[in-house]
Amino acid sequence: MKRRRLLGKTLEILLNVMMLLFSFACIFPLIWMTYSSLKTQKDFSLNIISLPLAPQFNNYIEAIRTGKMHIFFLNSMFIGIISVVFIIAIGFITAYCLSRFNFRGRNLIYVLFLFGMLVPVHSLLVPVFVQFKWLGLLNKRLTLILPYVAFGLPMAIFLLESFIKTIPIEIEEAACIDGSPIAVTLMKIIMPICRPAMSTVLILTFLHVWNEFPFALILIKSDYLKTLPVGLTNFSGQYSVDYPRLMAALVIATLPVIIVYLLFSKKIIQGMTAGAVKG
Amino acid sequence: MNHKLMRPKTEVLLGLLSPGLLIYCFIVVLPLFVSFRYSLFDWSGGINMEFVGLGNYIDLVQDGDFWFSFKNNVMIIMLSILGQVGIAFVVSALLMSKLLKWREFHRVVIFLPVVLSAVVIGFLWTIIYSKDMGLLNWILKALHLESFIIPWLDDPRYVIYTVTIPLIWQYIGFYLIIFMAAMQSIPKDIFEVADIDGATGIKKAVYITLPLLYDTLKVAIMLCIAGNMKVFDHIYVMTGGGPGKSSTVMAQYAYDNSFVMFKLGYGSAISIGILVLSLALILLSRKLMGGNKNEA
Repeated sequence: MKRRRLLGKTLEILLNVMMLLFSFACIFPLIWMTYSSLKTQKDFSLNIISLPLAPQFNNYIEAIRTGKMHIFFLNSMFIGIISVVFIIAIGFITAYCLSRFNFRGRNLIYVLFLFGMLVPVHSLLVPVFVQFKWLGLLNKRLTLILPYVAFGLPMAIFLLESFIKTIPIEIEEAACIDGSPIAVTLMKIIMPICRPAMSTVLILTFLHVWNEFPFALILIKSDYLKTLPVGLTNFSGQYSVDYPRLMAALVIATLPVIIVYLLFSKKIIQGMTAGAVKG
Repeated sequence: MNHKLMRPKTEVLLGLLSPGLLIYCFIVVLPLFVSFRYSLFDWSGGINMEFVGLGNYIDLVQDGDFWFSFKNNVMIIMLSILGQVGIAFVVSALLMSKLLKWREFHRVVIFLPVVLSAVVIGFLWTIIYSKDMGLLNWILKALHLESFIIPWLDDPRYVIYTVTIPLIWQYIGFYLIIFMAAMQSIPKDIFEVADIDGATGIKKAVYITLPLLYDTLKVAIMLCIAGNMKVFDHIYVMTGGGPGKSSTVMAQYAYDNSFVMFKLGYGSAISIGILVLSLALILLSRKLMGGNKNEA
């Protein structure tokens, strides 16, 4: 009996150590990237693994001064915020109509939006480019917002529609009898109830827009309009061997995402799996 | 769900739905038609357009490079099903066992790479794979395994495996969460009965957890297929499809043809080809695994 318990204890410790090692392996490349960005190129090439003895932020200054990371950062912020506002507003209204009213073509519209979660976006890469070229929409400050809103809508509609369905309809009926116009009911009653689902949509779509690469790559040519992921690709061309500097740029691009993740990890994990599994 | 009392007029309803529908159709539906039209032409973006009918499609079906890139996609899918779904399944079974501590910590840490930009992951792994200053070679040297060192991203024989590893690394957390959620939903008393009957950890995993998770496993595999049909960012950053064409995937091939060689007509045909092949593969996998019942 005693021996068995000892065996169980050893197994437990062994499992825990293995799991810790696994998690550590998952996260180590990111930790390595972060502390190496504080080393000079010379320190890094002497010993790639050692901690920075004298941390310095020169790489960051250079990434902003010559790599123009701040411009890409602001562009990403700008595109991200505007896209998310549109996705939330349009997604909410569409989801409300789809979940509350029965009309001819409702199912068709619903399936059309769901199709958007199935269609591989990369098959739209060339088509969207051709169409934007034809209409002269390439390389404008607002160019990227159209595709980002369109790609964000299906998931927003899907999550919001299933959430609105769970709200008892009696609330709206009562408001209607009390003489509240539908617009006011929507803004003052339904929207606040939907806040949890909306914040999930907000975080997920923002992350998605922040990280989006292929459309930003083909639709934008001007350096002053590029977003972070595309900006990074120019950056690496200039300094392909100066890894610490490249890592500093990567940290700049990643830090907001990590902060958002650490603040809302529960919500992000739930939302991502719900959106994906149902799709 | 139809309340007549508050139902707005049809025009109002249409007005409310139109912004979403318009943007969506403009970006997702209309381009498909536009590009189908251009796929019938020999066009490099200029004024000269020559109508070739289905010529581009005939070329596409006979284009060895296109099918090679499709094969690369399929290869990445298979490796990812093994790597992402397989490893995630084992790890989540471990995490759900009573012996493990700090479950929440592991969950948050392993999921973290999922939210990062694919471009960042691509660059990070380019550095990890690099010859003199790479993490991987450093580890191999520290373990005195120098003989295993190869030019990770420059050897056409292995490059398809080495570009898949970052993909696997990034998305294990995603499947881990799906499996953990599904495992949590298995009623506890089933395990209690098994305990009384004397089933051990591994037996419980094989005879109880695995069969009960069958539906979730199917969903995960389908997600894996759909997700890996659209790999592009990582590979664009790490190898650009090279060396030669050895790590070119379909999206990269469409990109090369359309934006490097400026064969926009042919690029449009490739895009339609990608759409057809992806949808076919997704629907086929759905059919093979007996439909999607929205589990997990």
